[in-house]
Amino acid sequence: MKTKFAAFLPEIIRHLFKRPATVRYPFEKLQVPKDFRGTPVFDSAKCIGCMICVRDCPAEAIDIIRVEDVINPDAPDKPKKKFKMLLHNDRCIHCAQCVESCPTDTYIMNTDYEIAVFNRHRLKIEYK
Amino acid sequence: MAEFQVPIGPQHPALKEPISLRMTLDGEVIKDADLKLGYNHRGIEKLAEERNYIQNLYLTERICGICSNSHAMCYCQGVEKLMELEPARRGLFIRTLVAELERIHSHLLWLGIAGHEAGFDTFFMYTWRDREVVMDLLEIISGNRVHYSINTFGGARRDIDDLQKQKILDGMEVLRNRTNYYLNIGVTEPTFIARLSGVGKLTKEQAVSLCAVGPTLRASGVPRDVRKDDPYAVYAELPFEVCTADSCDVLGRAVVRIKELIESYKMCEYLVKNLPVGEIKVKAPRRVKENEVISRYEAPRGENMHYIKSNGTDKPERLKVRAPTLANYAATIEMLKHGFVADIPLIFAAIDPCICCAERSVTLIDSKTGEEKRMFFSQLRKWSIEYYTKKPKLTGVTWPF
Repeated sequence: MKTKFAAFLPEIIRHLFKRPATVRYPFEKLQVPKDFRGTPVFDSAKCIGCMICVRDCPAEAIDIIRVEDVINPDAPDKPKKKFKMLLHNDRCIHCAQCVESCPTDTYIMNTDYEIAVFNRHRLKIEYK
Repeated sequence: MAEFQVPIGPQHPALKEPISLRMTLDGEVIKDADLKLGYNHRGIEKLAEERNYIQNLYLTERICGICSNSHAMCYCQGVEKLMELEPARRGLFIRTLVAELERIHSHLLWLGIAGHEAGFDTFFMYTWRDREVVMDLLEIISGNRVHYSINTFGGARRDIDDLQKQKILDGMEVLRNRTNYYLNIGVTEPTFIARLSGVGKLTKEQAVSLCAVGPTLRASGVPRDVRKDDPYAVYAELPFEVCTADSCDVLGRAVVRIKELIESYKMCEYLVKNLPVGEIKVKAPRRVKENEVISRYEAPRGENMHYIKSNGTDKPERLKVRAPTLANYAATIEMLKHGFVADIPLIFAAIDPCICCAERSVTLIDSKTGEEKRMFFSQLRKWSIEYYTKKPKLTGVTWPF
């Protein structure tokens, strides 16, 4: 094929009149995709304390702690075990493996992405 | 003129990642080259032995940022072989789709780097802008831009709906037009060709004998590709050609990558249009019986290999990673020889080096005798303490403030 100098020039000139590809964050925000993996949210009513999430978490970011049993008024001799979850969000890699491993759908992922804080102790989230 | 040595790196503006090159020069011409690795060793293989198979899925994904799916999928395939598990067909299609989208983003990234190293920064800006199209598609499919986490034992983790399918097809159309335009530029722009042509020669015989892999090998006219030679996932039924070039230089490597981009668009469209219905994954066991396996995968940079040995527990006994960059180092030294100093960044960039992938072990080499020695960290520490107790103490040193 015949070669010519400055073959790129028409493209460069066309780009002078294009809009920028970026948005003006934080005034404008992009839409979060539907499968986005934010921070895990724990529902203590569903947890059975099997500890699979603790074993499978690649970042060791989950602690499941047993708290006082819940007394069922219909069967007071059979109290239901209750668990709370301590999430170390500074370790979490947001892979959502806990959501996948959990046999009782205790976890869901939210869509938060602005999770940086000035005090790292505030990244420890307790779900009761 | 007397020969002299120039050390380049491990921290150097020409190289993005820490690696040390030692060039023996005669004027402007490189007579000999030597590579020193080990500046980015992270102990991933040892860490893998301490974690269960599911945790390792995310660990292997973090070996590399650019080809994160390559390592995770290679490991996942290996463990599935150990588990004697047949993954769900729809899951395999989705996995392959992500693998091909990753190849597109990696090759577009490389084209930009090649343009940048050749001093054609406009080209770099444009290819990276176009790469955003495929990055957005990956984000739509998996939820994340870099670590897609699409692989799991028994299939894929995320399903694809009709809206996503349409977006992928639209994205492929945009990228095909752009790639054809770049191909046209590559053919008609004389300065760009002149810069790449004849740089970093690697003959067909050298490429084969030095075990080069990926586009580096294929640009020397050897049609070798794991996807064709030893098909995994659904590559056996995909329509694609193995792309080669005969020029044996950096220009050939660019041509191979542009051709592969066009083949990848074709493959992605086929995968989306022929996506089977059904489950995306099957249930996998937690424990793996005693066995060993080698898993092969054609990463964007070349053949990636994972060796996994299981011992009947839920943790692997050994995981060994052979990244494509490591296989290309021997060929890189051959390419650098008889070239010019000014070509070093371009030749080195042409293998698409990923240092963090390749850093697996440390070998100490005696500079006087050339003797190689492997040392444990504890031995090294003991040796250093002994060394400094024998030396006379420094005097007159003050705290620097």
